[in-house]
Amino acid sequence: MARTKKSDRTKREILDEQSAENSSLPESGNQDENFGRSDALEPAHDEQESSGKEDDEERHHAAEESDSSEDEVAPRNTIGDVPLEWYKEEEHIGYDISGKKIKKQTRKDRIDSFLAGADDSKSWRKIFDEYNDEEVELTKEEIGIIRRILKGKTPNTEVDPYADYVDWFVWEDKGHPLSNAPEPKRRFIPSKWEHKKVLRYVRAIRKGWIKFDKPEEEPPFRLLWDDDSNLEDSRRHGLSYIPAPKPKLPGHEESYNPSVEYIPTQEEINSYQLMYEEDRPKFIPRRFESLRSVPAYESALKEGFDRCLDLYLCPRTRKKRLNIDPEALKPKLPSRKDLRPYPTTCYLEYRGHIGPVQSISIETSGQWIASGSTDGAVRIWEIETGRCLKVWDVGEAVQHVAWNPLPELPILAISLGQDVLLLNTGLGNDEEQLKVKELLNVAEPVITDDASDSTPTVSWIPYTKYDGIRLKHFKAVSTIEWHRKGDYFTTVVPSGDSRAVLLHQLSKKSTHNPFKKLHGLPVSAVFHPTRSIFFVATKKHVRVYDLVKTKLIKKLEAGVREISSISIHPGGDNVIVGSKEGKMCWFDMDLSSQPYKMLKIHPKDITNVAFHRSYPLFASCSDDCTAYVFHGMVYSDLNQNPLVVPLEILRGHTSSNGRGVLDCKFHPRQPWLFTAGADSVIKLYCH
Amino acid sequence: MDFNGSSSEGSRQVRVRFLTKMPPPLRAPTSAIAVPSNLTRMGLSEIVNLLLKNGNDDYQHQPFDFLVDGELIRMPLDQFLLAKGISAEKVLEIEYIKVVAPGKQQDPLMHDEWVSAVDGSNPSFILTGCYDGSARLWKGGESCSHVLGGHNGAITSVNIIKWIHGENNFHLATGSKDRTLRLWMLNAVEPGNYPVEVRAYKILKGHNSSVQSISAAPSGDMLCSGSWDCSIKLWDVKKQPDTEDDSVSVKKRKVGSNTAHGEEPQFEAEAASTLVGHTQCVSSVVWPEADTIYSASWDHSIRQWDVETGKDPWNMVCEKVLNCLDVGGENSALVAAGGSDPILRIWDPRKPGTLAPVFQFASHSSWITACKWHPRSWFHLLSASYDGKVMLWDLRTAWPLAIIDSHKDKVLCTDWWKDDSVISGGADSKLCISSGVSIP
Repeated sequence: MARTKKSDRTKREILDEQSAENSSLPESGNQDENFGRSDALEPAHDEQESSGKEDDEERHHAAEESDSSEDEVAPRNTIGDVPLEWYKEEEHIGYDISGKKIKKQTRKDRIDSFLAGADDSKSWRKIFDEYNDEEVELTKEEIGIIRRILKGKTPNTEVDPYADYVDWFVWEDKGHPLSNAPEPKRRFIPSKWEHKKVLRYVRAIRKGWIKFDKPEEEPPFRLLWDDDSNLEDSRRHGLSYIPAPKPKLPGHEESYNPSVEYIPTQEEINSYQLMYEEDRPKFIPRRFESLRSVPAYESALKEGFDRCLDLYLCPRTRKKRLNIDPEALKPKLPSRKDLRPYPTTCYLEYRGHIGPVQSISIETSGQWIASGSTDGAVRIWEIETGRCLKVWDVGEAVQHVAWNPLPELPILAISLGQDVLLLNTGLGNDEEQLKVKELLNVAEPVITDDASDSTPTVSWIPYTKYDGIRLKHFKAVSTIEWHRKGDYFTTVVPSGDSRAVLLHQLSKKSTHNPFKKLHGLPVSAVFHPTRSIFFVATKKHVRVYDLVKTKLIKKLEAGVREISSISIHPGGDNVIVGSKEGKMCWFDMDLSSQPYKMLKIHPKDITNVAFHRSYPLFASCSDDCTAYVFHGMVYSDLNQNPLVVPLEILRGHTSSNGRGVLDCKFHPRQPWLFTAGADSVIKLYCH
Repeated sequence: MDFNGSSSEGSRQVRVRFLTKMPPPLRAPTSAIAVPSNLTRMGLSEIVNLLLKNGNDDYQHQPFDFLVDGELIRMPLDQFLLAKGISAEKVLEIEYIKVVAPGKQQDPLMHDEWVSAVDGSNPSFILTGCYDGSARLWKGGESCSHVLGGHNGAITSVNIIKWIHGENNFHLATGSKDRTLRLWMLNAVEPGNYPVEVRAYKILKGHNSSVQSISAAPSGDMLCSGSWDCSIKLWDVKKQPDTEDDSVSVKKRKVGSNTAHGEEPQFEAEAASTLVGHTQCVSSVVWPEADTIYSASWDHSIRQWDVETGKDPWNMVCEKVLNCLDVGGENSALVAAGGSDPILRIWDPRKPGTLAPVFQFASHSSWITACKWHPRSWFHLLSASYDGKVMLWDLRTAWPLAIIDSHKDKVLCTDWWKDDSVISGGADSKLCISSGVSIP
């Protein structure tokens, strides 16, 4: 009976074993009789009566142990609810719980099974379980259950479907739970006894028998290490008491026998000697065998004295700390996205020059660009395609090129060495060509004679190599700048002393020298875009002249080492100045003669600065091979300061002989920037 | 099907049905088959080819392109379905079409200078404009048959106005940077081994600056030109020496060919009218219908002009300078334009109240100089760029169908020729012809 005690076995397993036993054991005739007799299905109790045998009892126990079919342990085969045809061809029927294949049992053929069934009187109770591939013999109880189900009764005999009804509710006469009596009067009037009690309290308070404020108890102890600041003494007389700083409490390193990690190595001790007296650590930890061997602290007296001095003499003030987020101090700049369009990407390159491109100039309509290089060539390019339209070989390093600002006068001014050439570009229609040819016609050389010097300042000579005029100066010319009306232009002769800045008139072929006394070396000179004002940039200052009254209006102090370039805002009230130390100054002429903004951007010399004619953009280019583009918005409201926002760093040029980008100019109508590099390439940056 | 077995166990499968509008020899069985979902266009093409091969033994292998919901497949099928949010559960209907790609490159036609303009509207001749100031007519895309000299500046635009009096009399127009337009009349069936020199019979003067673009009216009676002087001028080109024009032109040509630089009486003409409105260079004009002109300008605007009234009823401003413009596509209503950035944009003027482009193609890396719709197809267009590439686009995918990379320098102009060839001229002085682009 030990088998039945194993409660973890499944009912099915036990049944299996039993059936196996049954089949192997020689069966007694008694059993055969029993079952052979019961052909028809009989009531369950009949069967129970007839099965007095031991194995039947066993079965009964087993059935009781696995009390119901619902919490039956999972079957042997674990394949789940899948069609069994899937395993029809296989050698196994599925897998057991540990994942091992369950082999198929050899199937008896029909005759064998029939014969076995005929021999075995219990064969009518055996059914074949296809799922687990085994024969199952039904127990008597199970057959009884089947019989009861067939009859339509409850499967379990214990269940009585028609038990007597127990009436748990008591129906004896219970009265109504709520009273119907009216509310008594006492619930609506103030209580007399409460009133009396209140009167008693009032009397007691009046006579002082009841006291509310308990006298505060003085705390018997005070915090020894507490901050002195909230002592009562400190608040006396309304003085603000500043407690003395507390000395640092001793730490582990000041122990007489500190851990090894606190002890400095000999190298560290040596390195202390190299430090300044103030930086040197005051205390060097040392180890002692015992507290007895600790010597007296040598600087105890000195430190005590210092501490006293500190407490007595040191004037202390309360420092008002400002709690400011450093981010909040940054100026609020608009996002770059909102300031579009501005040049960002280089799409076109103009290649062809051999030497560094010294200067570029864009025709007013924006169709052509002229460039002058140190290789002695002046080229005219078509902006749209990058095709070189024309090459003039002028034979000397070109310093500066400038288009006439009038679209109907396609004249290019070129400065090289001591000469300034005015050349007919051959663009424009026939009428315009006629006009240009007439303008550029010099019948006989015009020589300005100041009578002060032996060399004439400027002589106007026809230029025969190409169609144009040659203005021969007495010394080397650096820059040329046209007046907006296209008739006047100015040239700067940096080493010209009293004849450094000259004004020329094209229609009359005449030259003036209005600035006899000029302080400092001139660098560049430009016309005001709308009024008759003239800017002369010397190395330190920018002088602003009124051309009508011929007097100095203003002197702008850049405060930089050496001014290299200047550009005037198209509105005329703002000036940017680039310097050789990489600083750019923005002057608001209405504001002051000091720079409104100083931008330190380039690590090397700024070679040129430029304003855009219509977009609020300005740019600077430098020998560090970069050009910077800025948003420079000038408001018509005089109270609002100009807004300067850095937008983009344009890279792409390569350095050559220490020079980077030599010139930058904006396209007159598009937000595009042209840069001329010492690497002999001109680049166009588009938006 | 064969492919079910060959597909690896891990990949998912999609049930697809291949459809086509092509004629029966290229029609695969329409039964649904399961294919691995990680197939690309190549794999799908292989499958269709195998299907076709099974049905027809003497079938030639050829590549196909595949459309799902009007969009070309350009990535693995599962990614495509994921990106488009199409369920992979139901049977996917895939339409296949022939691949549109240039077959072979013909030998480039060499010029003396940059090739700036090209017109391929005549199937037997190509007209090119060159920076040396002369236009050339190339017979059959092989040999130069006529040289149209006379311009003092680079030619920027050429146009075959129409053929008159039979197939072989050409009426041509050229625009140049010398501020003039010239009209030419020539007979194309001139035998001879050497190029015939032709002189213009009429010079159209009136622009104050370079002529950038010309376009003839569909009727061939009028011509419009856009210029750097911000104006668009209309020219009447119908008035010719009426009765004897054929004989005159022949005579003129003979004279021109015999005495190359002999001065001859040339007629000059003034503009019929001027359309003013652009504020900067008019870089491109197109005259697709009898009474509408489209123009693109450097002032960032595209305008549609009414020829009768001279007004611009539709004016669209984008952000960039525009270099080229073409009208075509669906019902010849879509406007494609490219400019000073690498993005080819396509607008639909029929959509009211929006200025956003309906398509943007951004595979180029520099300015776009030319764009051209296919004359018949609604979906295909060309674009040429300064990065030296000509790209063939299909509106149904964001990737270029083909990139023609035969130029060494900037590509300045491109056009379709004979419906199945792409011609392009560039700054390397070559006219490249890629033929075999079979567009259905």
